[in-house]
Amino acid sequence: MPAPTDAIADWPGWRLMHAVAARFVDWAVYSEGSSRSSALVRIGLAMLFWSRWAGELLLYRDQSPLGLFLAVNFFLATALLFVGYHSRIAAVWAGSVGLAMYYYFGHQLAREPWTHHHAYLLVVAALLIALTPCGRSYSMDRYLAVMRAGRTGVAPPAERGNLWGLRLIVVQLSVLYFFSAFDKSNYAFLSGARIEQIFLWYYAGSDYPAIPGLAWLATIVSFAVVALEYCLAFGLPFRRTRRYLVVPGLAFHSIIYLSLPVYTFSATMALLYLAYFDADAIDKIIARLQGIEYAGTAGEGMS
Amino acid sequence: MADIVSIRIGAEPAGRVSAGRLRFFAFMAIAAFMIAGPVAEQVFGVRTALLRSWTMFSAIGLNVIDASFEIRRPDGALLPLDRFDMLGAPRDGRLKRIESREELASVIEQLCTAAGQGADIRVRARQATRSGWQIIHADAENACAD
Repeated sequence: MPAPTDAIADWPGWRLMHAVAARFVDWAVYSEGSSRSSALVRIGLAMLFWSRWAGELLLYRDQSPLGLFLAVNFFLATALLFVGYHSRIAAVWAGSVGLAMYYYFGHQLAREPWTHHHAYLLVVAALLIALTPCGRSYSMDRYLAVMRAGRTGVAPPAERGNLWGLRLIVVQLSVLYFFSAFDKSNYAFLSGARIEQIFLWYYAGSDYPAIPGLAWLATIVSFAVVALEYCLAFGLPFRRTRRYLVVPGLAFHSIIYLSLPVYTFSATMALLYLAYFDADAIDKIIARLQGIEYAGTAGEGMS
Repeated sequence: MADIVSIRIGAEPAGRVSAGRLRFFAFMAIAAFMIAGPVAEQVFGVRTALLRSWTMFSAIGLNVIDASFEIRRPDGALLPLDRFDMLGAPRDGRLKRIESREELASVIEQLCTAAGQGADIRVRARQATRSGWQIIHADAENACAD
């Protein structure tokens, strides 16, 4: 008679679970790939930081010691993040400045809208990109490494690295989509009432437009939004379903960007979509666009 | 899962063993933090600044009032009443969005005053709440009679 542990190990369901878990661990923390997509996200995040906060942090705006300290840190950290000098440290620095803005200036000092979702997402993205090889491509770090290699007569370092930071961005986006859909999975939203209310708030005022079928349209749009968000949460991480969801996802964020005051939220989401794609596949596309032969090596895990 | 991490780590060069394990546990800890925020607020109702929920636009539009007004003509017919025309107010001004019952009561009072003694104004209004629309004024009665 087999020992109980052997019996469990022989159970087909257990083997399947074991295989899925092994695949997940490989995907999460052991996949390596091109550093170029991480570098693009790094550069994009620096620009989004400026787009969102630079105007509010110009040195003349808040001339208190604390205000000047925040502004100087913000511009130094984001400039280093943009040019990619000590990129990962710059990402931690920029993310820490963002955390201070979100938690201390936003929540403690009630400076709004620094406590909003778009601010948190930017800050988290900066901290997570620090866990990627975001400085190994398109950066001052890369330039200096190539120069150093040239001087010493060795090959420049590979533009590759562990991609677990990108995997965490994928987890963050899925959590965001799932709980956003979960928040809307109730009668008030699915009946169309919440969308009508938001529409009246921003557009129509207290006069419900006399357009036949508008209430039905609100209901249909509400169902579509919730269904899409659930699909994005569970479908974007997988290649087979991703191909059908990227365009609807980007269209969804574009519509939100054009119609509601979401600040940098939509642009940040669109930028972070890069994390879903195979880093080497992005590298191949970049090589093709630049008319050069792809020199990458082995592909990555399951995404 | 720890078993799988151990197996996977076993395949690595000796120097990378601790890095792989650390990375895995850091990954799980960060992912758990990401999930903890929305679970705390959206499932258990615990609100804290430390944890972030994902309830975008969940409070926007609350309390806004969808209102329509009618006035009874001398022949007894009810006609739509344009509050902006009646009060000489700009369409994109303060009267555009009525945000509370008090504001609605004030608008009704102004309309009744402008319509004159004995006016019969009917108001249909519903207010935005978290659970949907709540009817706060049916047009069964003359609002100026209050």
